Amino acid sequence: MWTTIGRLVEHEPNSTLRNPNRKSNHMNIAHKADFNNENRFELFLLDDNEKKVEWEEETRIPNTAVFTFNKEDHTLGNLLSSRLHKYDYVTFSAYKVPHPLFAKFELRVTTNGSISPKDAIVKCCKDIVQDLEVLSRSFTTEWLGKRIVHEGEAERLAREREI
Amino acid sequence: MDPYDIEGGAINVRFLHADSTRANFLIQNFDLATANALRRVMLSEVPTMAIDVVEVIDNTSVLADEFICHRLGLIPLNSKNVDDVLYSRDCDCEGYCEQCSVVLTLNARCTGNEVMKVYARDLVVSEGRPNDEVGNPVITDPEGLGSVIVKLRKGQSIHMRCIAKKGIAKEHAKWAPSAAIGFEYDPNNKLRHLDYWYEEDAKKEWPVDEHNANIDGAPQEGEAFDYDAVPTRFFFDVETVGGLEPDQIVTQGIKQLQQKLAGVIHELQGNDGMNGADDFGGAQSPQMNGAGYGGQDAGYTTPYGNASVWGGGGGTTPYGATPYGGPGGSGW
Repeated sequence: MWTTIGRLVEHEPNSTLRNPNRKSNHMNIAHKADFNNENRFELFLLDDNEKKVEWEEETRIPNTAVFTFNKEDHTLGNLLSSRLHKYDYVTFSAYKVPHPLFAKFELRVTTNGSISPKDAIVKCCKDIVQDLEVLSRSFTTEWLGKRIVHEGEAERLAREREI
Repeated sequence: MDPYDIEGGAINVRFLHADSTRANFLIQNFDLATANALRRVMLSEVPTMAIDVVEVIDNTSVLADEFICHRLGLIPLNSKNVDDVLYSRDCDCEGYCEQCSVVLTLNARCTGNEVMKVYARDLVVSEGRPNDEVGNPVITDPEGLGSVIVKLRKGQSIHMRCIAKKGIAKEHAKWAPSAAIGFEYDPNNKLRHLDYWYEEDAKKEWPVDEHNANIDGAPQEGEAFDYDAVPTRFFFDVETVGGLEPDQIVTQGIKQLQQKLAGVIHELQGNDGMNGADDFGGAQSPQMNGAGYGGQDAGYTTPYGNASVWGGGGGTTPYGATPYGGPGGSGW
């Protein structure tokens, strides 16, 4: 990188390379377009050896487990915990974000014993994926339909103008 | 019968308005948590392109380098088929390369006596990028200028090399695909999720979206309150910044959410014995985790919308061969 910029500077005798001492991942590049907080990717990228979901059985209450979702937030937390309420075999589900500055949440699930909490979550996820698939299909068809109507109207207007 | 709900119990979408910048639609027979998750994903997790690193070669304008760099970052760039672009952090290259970035050069000098404006159209996109459209500055005004970056006086010049990368709005708002997403349910407050503060009469003092309220049905006079009622109809109004078509924002949002869930399923099911096989070693972008896993149990049914609504023939499971981009998928 240094050589590229060096060349550019030579080509342009008036140019100045700002901030040459700043060593970042990108070596010698002057500015991040905005660099107030350079570590915000920590919100959604797993650390080395970090797992997306960890879980622990709750020993004091049967059929209960606490799942820790790393690098996830209310988007998934609320989605899963409220969706789990809809299943008869889930007797309790709730989530909490232990600290707002750390991107993780804990989901606690109790079932009636006919299914393990883990399988309940897997089932729940699959159902949501399927619902979203239905939504996606419906959305695409409707959007295309709406576009055809729009184009038809535009054509009709154009024809009317010609007449 | 409700003209807006002709399909009975199945999840369905109705459009109120659709053009190149806006998609105003309603989703019916859906649930609040999923609708809200979709809203949040569309706001913060749909990938787009934005200028991320700027090499300042020359800047004699009145604005500071950082100031201009920040402005450059906020310029919307075309993000169509942004899937072709890799995340820089996942790319094998050092720094950036043609697979994971688009280079735009800004080089302007004012020679006349009048103040010169430098516009987004003056960003020159370099050869060699993942596809022909991605990274072009978004220009929607009739004059074809784009947004103003700086003004230059006689003798002032600016020369910058901008490296645009793929990213999501969770990292920085410049990657947000939508300017705003309208989200509403129960406009008549029949479910009483809202307790309006008022001076004299809440009805007079609080505005109601008449159009949405009519679709949702006005409450009957003296209607008994249903304690078990849940919202089922959700009004979305997705407005794009310009980088993605509004329908792309929605379909990409759905896809991102599905991949997020797929990642969880993968993680929880994969734990049964194939723990060691996962050698991704952490720092991967969300899309890489568990995307496109093959589910073993195709053809299960849900307690809500049943599979037959859209399933029909085989090979249409969301985990199967054609989840995204099948014949019926987002064809354009």
